[in-house]
Amino acid sequence: MLNYILRRLGAGLLLLAVVTAVTFWIFYVLPRWAGVTPHGMAAMYVGKAPTPEALDATVERLGLDQPIAVQFFEFVRTLLFGQEFTFGRETVECAAPCLGYSFTTNTPVLPQLLDRLPITLSLGLGAAVIWVIGGVAVGVLSAVKKGSIFDRLAMGTALIGVSLPIYFTGLLALAFLVHEWGLFPVSRYVPFTENPIAWFQVMILPWVTLAFLHAAQYARQTRAGMLETLNEDYIRTARAKGLSERKVIFKHALRPTLTPIVTILGLDIGMVLGGAILTETVFSLNGVGAYAINSIVSKDLPVVLGVTLLGAVFIVVCNLVVDLLYPLVDPRVRIAK
Amino acid sequence: MSAPSHAPEATDPVASDPGASAPGRSDADNRSLRQIAWQRLRRDKVAMVSGVVVVLLILAAIFAPLLAKWFGHPPTQFNQDLIDPSRRVPYLDPENPELGVDRWGGISSEHLLGVEPTTGRDLFSRILYGAQISLLVAFLATLVCVALGTVLGIIAGYMGGWVDTLISRSMDIFLAFPLMLFAIALVGVIPEGVLGLTGNGLRIGVIVFIIGFFNWPYIARIVRGQTLALREREFVEAAKSLGASNRHILFKEILPNLITPIIVYSTLLIPTNILFEAALSFLGVGINPPTPSWGKMLSEAVPFYQTAPYFIIFPGLAIFITVLAFNLFGDGLRDAFDPRTSD
Amino acid sequence: MRKRTLGFVALGAAASLFLSACGGAATGGGSDSADTYDLGSTEVVNPSDATGGTLKYAIAGDFDSTDPANTYYAFNWNFSRYYARTLLAFNPEPGDNATDLIPDMAVDLPEPNEDFTEWTVKIQEGLKYEDGTEITAQDIKYGIARSNWNGGVFSEGPQYFKAHLDQADHNVYEGSDPLEGFDSIETPDDYTLVFKLKDSFSEFPNVLTQPQTAPVPIEADREALYQEKVVSSGPYKFDGEYEPGVKLHLERNEHWDGDTDPVRKALPDRIEVEIGVAQDEIDERLVSGEIDVDLSGTGVGPAMNARLLDDESVKGNLDNPYTGALRFVNIHLPIIDDVACRQAIMYAADRDSMWRAWGGAEGGDIATSLLPPAIPGSNTDSDLYPSEDNKGDLDKAKEKLEECGEGDGFKTNIAVRSEREKDVQTAEALQQSLERVGIDVEVKSFPSADFFGQYAGSQDYVRENNIGLSVSGWGPDWPTGYGFASKITHGDAIMETGNFNTAELDDPEVNGLWDEALKTEDPEERADLYTQIDTLVMENAAILPVVFDKALIYRSDELTNAYYQPAYMMYDFMALGVDRG
Repeated sequence: MLNYILRRLGAGLLLLAVVTAVTFWIFYVLPRWAGVTPHGMAAMYVGKAPTPEALDATVERLGLDQPIAVQFFEFVRTLLFGQEFTFGRETVECAAPCLGYSFTTNTPVLPQLLDRLPITLSLGLGAAVIWVIGGVAVGVLSAVKKGSIFDRLAMGTALIGVSLPIYFTGLLALAFLVHEWGLFPVSRYVPFTENPIAWFQVMILPWVTLAFLHAAQYARQTRAGMLETLNEDYIRTARAKGLSERKVIFKHALRPTLTPIVTILGLDIGMVLGGAILTETVFSLNGVGAYAINSIVSKDLPVVLGVTLLGAVFIVVCNLVVDLLYPLVDPRVRIAK
Repeated sequence: MSAPSHAPEATDPVASDPGASAPGRSDADNRSLRQIAWQRLRRDKVAMVSGVVVVLLILAAIFAPLLAKWFGHPPTQFNQDLIDPSRRVPYLDPENPELGVDRWGGISSEHLLGVEPTTGRDLFSRILYGAQISLLVAFLATLVCVALGTVLGIIAGYMGGWVDTLISRSMDIFLAFPLMLFAIALVGVIPEGVLGLTGNGLRIGVIVFIIGFFNWPYIARIVRGQTLALREREFVEAAKSLGASNRHILFKEILPNLITPIIVYSTLLIPTNILFEAALSFLGVGINPPTPSWGKMLSEAVPFYQTAPYFIIFPGLAIFITVLAFNLFGDGLRDAFDPRTSD
Repeated sequence: MRKRTLGFVALGAAASLFLSACGGAATGGGSDSADTYDLGSTEVVNPSDATGGTLKYAIAGDFDSTDPANTYYAFNWNFSRYYARTLLAFNPEPGDNATDLIPDMAVDLPEPNEDFTEWTVKIQEGLKYEDGTEITAQDIKYGIARSNWNGGVFSEGPQYFKAHLDQADHNVYEGSDPLEGFDSIETPDDYTLVFKLKDSFSEFPNVLTQPQTAPVPIEADREALYQEKVVSSGPYKFDGEYEPGVKLHLERNEHWDGDTDPVRKALPDRIEVEIGVAQDEIDERLVSGEIDVDLSGTGVGPAMNARLLDDESVKGNLDNPYTGALRFVNIHLPIIDDVACRQAIMYAADRDSMWRAWGGAEGGDIATSLLPPAIPGSNTDSDLYPSEDNKGDLDKAKEKLEECGEGDGFKTNIAVRSEREKDVQTAEALQQSLERVGIDVEVKSFPSADFFGQYAGSQDYVRENNIGLSVSGWGPDWPTGYGFASKITHGDAIMETGNFNTAELDDPEVNGLWDEALKTEDPEERADLYTQIDTLVMENAAILPVVFDKALIYRSDELTNAYYQPAYMMYDFMALGVDRG
């Protein structure tokens, strides 16, 4: 077991390393290939007065003229072992894992990211709760009542759900539910710790919109899995033994059906950061996704690297958790294999 | 939303049950299988209707210039006389500006779906032309996905061993990339004139490349699974014992049996790619203005969601209907080819 | 929204009661709110000396920096005065005299020598920082030195001192004594500063209004980190640290003495800024009274814009001043090198169509000249390329095309910042109007962040990719012709990258007039020179003016002393108070 976990962790770390390297390549190497000079890059971080001296100084300060390998090595070293940053006559220690300082605001990247993480997590996890419960419940009901009107309606809705992008449903919700009919307040994000009710009020709309998109997939998946399981011999045996239908479904059929659901859930939660970009843009939430977009727009490279890395860490961790949860959900899976 | 969550699930019947989906029969058997599938498909009303919608959409996109000409409004032509300059939305009645503005879009017999705020461009033409970009990008990107995914999937499945490990691990890695972030960044980074492409040609190229390059693992996984199963079957064994080359086995024996699942899954990948392109345009990294694209039209509608909500509806519906039609059709296709679906 | 309307009606009712009691004729229900429409642009609205309360700002973007040395946004210059006093200031009153200079920390306006190369200014004695220590001339000198001679760490702020002071290479962050060798500013005693310039610079006092002249104690300077907690010389000090993207809170500075300060009323007890709030949300909360001022000063967003225009009850809460900026299209001389071809573009452009992209009457005035209305010497009535209804003169345009040998028109590209919706629509409108005379324009959109660094402002890029046009905008650094237009029309301002004289206009006559202006003492004579420059730039057809844009600003009822200060293109923040009574 321990061996397995270690192996998975190792694979995860390797993945993080590759993602970091590729991100770095895209943002630092590609522009050079494209003919952008270090001074051209520096011009992005110099304000309205890009004098040659200011450009020189910026190139020097950010190390943009260093060979790429050196820049990459510096980034990794800073990440793993921390770094001391000099500000005039002052030195500031940035402890590992240090993502460096933003090129545009001169603030440390990691604390900024962590500040915004609660918003994104609120969004993603809250929506996940809705879509898992909703999706699985509808899926089970549909499977049990296969061919009924409910089944058809639910599956129809599910297909509609996967075909509705959040930048359409979200805007519709804002235009009509919030603005036109005033059913939801226009307000800004409030942390759960500050006011749980206000937090809930603000988040409910983004949750439901995001969940609608995903719930559909879960409902279809659950239904398919359930139908398959219900055909298995052991279910017939259970029924033959005279167990109540409820018991058959919840005690025997649901569990194996959930196994693939857990996999998808792991992947989806891992993708929360990526998905947050659109949702946060539509609902004006100031989370990691919005931070990512802003940093890309302003070419704030340390922040871009930080966000990508955080996103990849998320995916790796979620995959690991799923692997470890597997045997708990499905007793047939044994890690020893 | 993120691309992967819409991708076909690896546990879907056609993929998870390769033996049962009857590859490995002779060509004649395959043909009859396809005939059965076609018969089933024809009986599936939903799939047929959505198939017709798909065909109509493709035709509309191809003939957009003709249609726009026929209705008399090129997609970039300004009609600012219809627009209140201060409020930037259409007048209720352009002849009588004092009547105020029309929250529901300036729809008239001239402008079937109304006109855009500020510019007064005809929405119907713009949505038609938007279909061109949307479908073009989605088809090309799917093509790239399929090409990469099939080749790498077959190789991984057939060769096994360290090759398989390498390809499978890289699939994991590719799926772990924050695709949306990369896409936004890359569009801004690629310089004009790369590979002789400029302007919109370049933008389309970059978007197609990004989607294709990062989404091939979805196809590859399915192809690999199928190949893995086919490799063990007797007709492959037979070919091997007759001394057929690897190339012959891969392309003449295995590939033909993969065509059905590949078609089914690429049909299901198209809507995912449509959504992805629209998302990029929505975030402002799509096609250059004034070329219309649905995602861009939606983002242009954002400032007006309070005063002119109609402007969200048509581009949104265009995306929705297209994606839904492809999804339904793909679903029907999959069911038709799934031997476990009862007749 | 509803809350606001109720409050207003109640107020109106009380007013009419009072009128009736005095025997005045009641004008009938409702409030004459339209009377106060745009009043803040020309008068002090709701004057009051009542102190107390919290003044709440919000902004969709962020400060470029809270460090006075490192900022270039007008709103930021306006706001930083809460905690950073400057040598000089703009006259705190509405109307024509609003851009006159008055002393702030200084005792009097600076004295020049006869050729404007040396300026002497005295500061008041007894001015104090937030910790009670005295502000000396050396601190101001250090503040200026660090703002322009810092090894490039402060990249946002202007570089006027560097451009004009007679100073050898220097870096305050190198060596043990930061000011050793920094001798272009002399401090003969603790209260006197002598500035030594390379060349004549008649408008130098305007530079002394900029936040870079705020005093900074050497020992408190933390380079880029100084912005977290700037040492205050003004009526307010940082309450906690500035958190980029989140907030900035200010509280009263007990060591500030109002008697020394002719600029700041300091009425509220607290100032709070919420950062990174979506524009729609700011507008919504502005109207509902939860926020007092949109810090950016760019006015309400398009959604609220249309709503406010349709709501008579709030009309009196709206101001519609010029933002001070000109929106324009650069016609790149190296690409479209024949002046007649450029003039063809000037004639063919449909200005009405482009003006609509900016939101019609409330969005701005159609511009036909270079200098915006508030600038002395501007002549907004002149139009060298007139046409009926501003729709463009196609016959003249075709004539000009014949003249430059491109009778069938030509092909070029227009660069535009993709995130700027109005810029994009301006480009689209121009594309449509030029198509009418056969000029085929392709729109190329680029990210704002590197628009000037790598695309439109990069000489190489412009030449290699046939970028003949680019959409741009410009606001004044100070409200004179030089402060506005020298950076976009003087040949010396042309840069290889980051080029804001994007048209690359390098006309000896224009350059000569700019240089002459700097040697001219009388502001009115200077204004004449600026008028001539304006005309020359138009004749050269280097810049196609689009609009002098305006902002539609919602003025909350709780705001006191609101008036528009053209130097900062927004209300004078220093005068504002809140009255929530």
